[in-house]
Amino acid sequence: MSGAPEPVIRVDGVSRWFGSVVAVSEVSFDVRPGITGLLGPNGAGKTSLLRMMTGLAATSSGTVTVFGEPVRDNPPLYGRLGVMSEHETVYGFMKGRDFVRMMGRLRGVSALEDAVDRAIDLVDLAAAQHRRMDTYSRGMRQRMRLAATLVHDPELLVLDEPLNGADPRQRVHFKRLLQQLAADGKTIVLSSHILEEVEELADTVLLIVNGKLAASGGFRAIRAALNQRPYHVRVVCDAPRRLAAAALGLPSVDAVHVDPDGAILVLSRNVLDLQIELPRLAQAGGIRLRRVEPLDDSLESVFGYLVER
Amino acid sequence: MSPIYLLTLRQLSGRWRLLVMTVLAAMPVLITVLVLRYADAPSVVDFENLVLSTMLAGSIAPLVVLAIAAAAFGNEVEDRTLANLTLAPMPRWKIVLPKLLAAITLAAPFIAASALLTSHVAFLADARATLAVTVAAVVGVAMYAAVFVWLGLVSTQAIGIGLLYVVLWEGFFSGYVAGVRLLSIRYHAIALMHGLDPRRFASDDHLGLAVAIAIAILVVGGFFLLSVRRLRRMDVP
Repeated sequence: MSGAPEPVIRVDGVSRWFGSVVAVSEVSFDVRPGITGLLGPNGAGKTSLLRMMTGLAATSSGTVTVFGEPVRDNPPLYGRLGVMSEHETVYGFMKGRDFVRMMGRLRGVSALEDAVDRAIDLVDLAAAQHRRMDTYSRGMRQRMRLAATLVHDPELLVLDEPLNGADPRQRVHFKRLLQQLAADGKTIVLSSHILEEVEELADTVLLIVNGKLAASGGFRAIRAALNQRPYHVRVVCDAPRRLAAAALGLPSVDAVHVDPDGAILVLSRNVLDLQIELPRLAQAGGIRLRRVEPLDDSLESVFGYLVER
Repeated sequence: MSPIYLLTLRQLSGRWRLLVMTVLAAMPVLITVLVLRYADAPSVVDFENLVLSTMLAGSIAPLVVLAIAAAAFGNEVEDRTLANLTLAPMPRWKIVLPKLLAAITLAAPFIAASALLTSHVAFLADARATLAVTVAAVVGVAMYAAVFVWLGLVSTQAIGIGLLYVVLWEGFFSGYVAGVRLLSIRYHAIALMHGLDPRRFASDDHLGLAVAIAIAILVVGGFFLLSVRRLRRMDVP
């Protein structure tokens, strides 16, 4: 029999709402071995989704299975998971090594001291392991938390904004470590609101916007999908009617509307071209652009990135 | 020993918390000494009502236990470290039990010492009465702890709700409304004390020792199971 192997995580029609607020809406995807990046701006629903994927939160509708089993209220399954939440709180009174040891004991690790040594070596914190964690820098706390996440050698790692607080050197170390773990056959899901981080690390990207799966696949596919999304861009200039008329002739522009306040609202499915063509058009017509801004706030960071590129 | 038990002991034994508990636990002893020194010696019934029931079982014990037990899970819900425990591959009761035992371990010595010294002074070293008061106090601690550990899991306002419960339910209504007393931990702790030394304490609660013990087991066991259920179903922050 042939076909793709069973996904490590299957998210099927998952929604989650808090009262009248919808945090995640009808999201479906599979996660397979390798590094998968969950990308989206702050407040997009990434953390809610990760919490449902690890059984920490219930779904309002839909199902999440991990290794073929429902993840919610399934403690035996948790031994195969390593989860690092975005919250950086640690037991400040505890020494780093004691924390990793405790997490290992809770997860039933045999040969505990060896496992603790290995985990702390992986994050390169052996020199600080006997210090209380309230003396650690933010980056050190994150690394010791990662050691505690790795101590039981989990098959699946779920990391929520793992690079928060890390300095450039630590980021490089962290990325190498994750790539090594992925090469060893682990499945890693990491979330980030920084496009560059995900681009460098992830084989597969899940783009979450406003609680919905906006796009998924390889990074190039995501970029292409993003470029085809319609964007509303507000333009303020010194000759709005003239620019609006001219802009209608641009291939990157689908529609133009002039507001009563004199601002132009441009609808485009190709912002990359628009950000090149519009200034050229204005320059050619001797029109001064005062302000160009995307109106789809939830996509602002992605839009900004694309414009900068 | 369970790492969760040790972790919880360490989390709950902050200096200020221990200091407040010490002050609270010393109050019944101090008041007993003052009453015996400066006032006419009260009758056993008056002493029981004022000091043992109203003050120790109805106020000091629940306040001390509230300060500890509500934080057993409450602190970890608040600082979002609870996932470290709930993502362990173990049944939920193995998380709740060490938390509950740690809360009892910390609170019981304060209340037991307070009860022991208070009754020792008041009853002129009557060993049986002292034992009855102390055992009842420790059982009361266990009952309150089970309730407040659960409360710390179901609400982020556990201390506020717990204070209202102590003041209104245990302190006010159970003292004046007969039906409410049957649902009052203070009442059942006192009933246990009556049952352990009927010679010293005149009972008007009609419960008997066996019923008091059964109710104590029901309260501790019931709220323990409610905590396990809550931990299974709650969204862990």
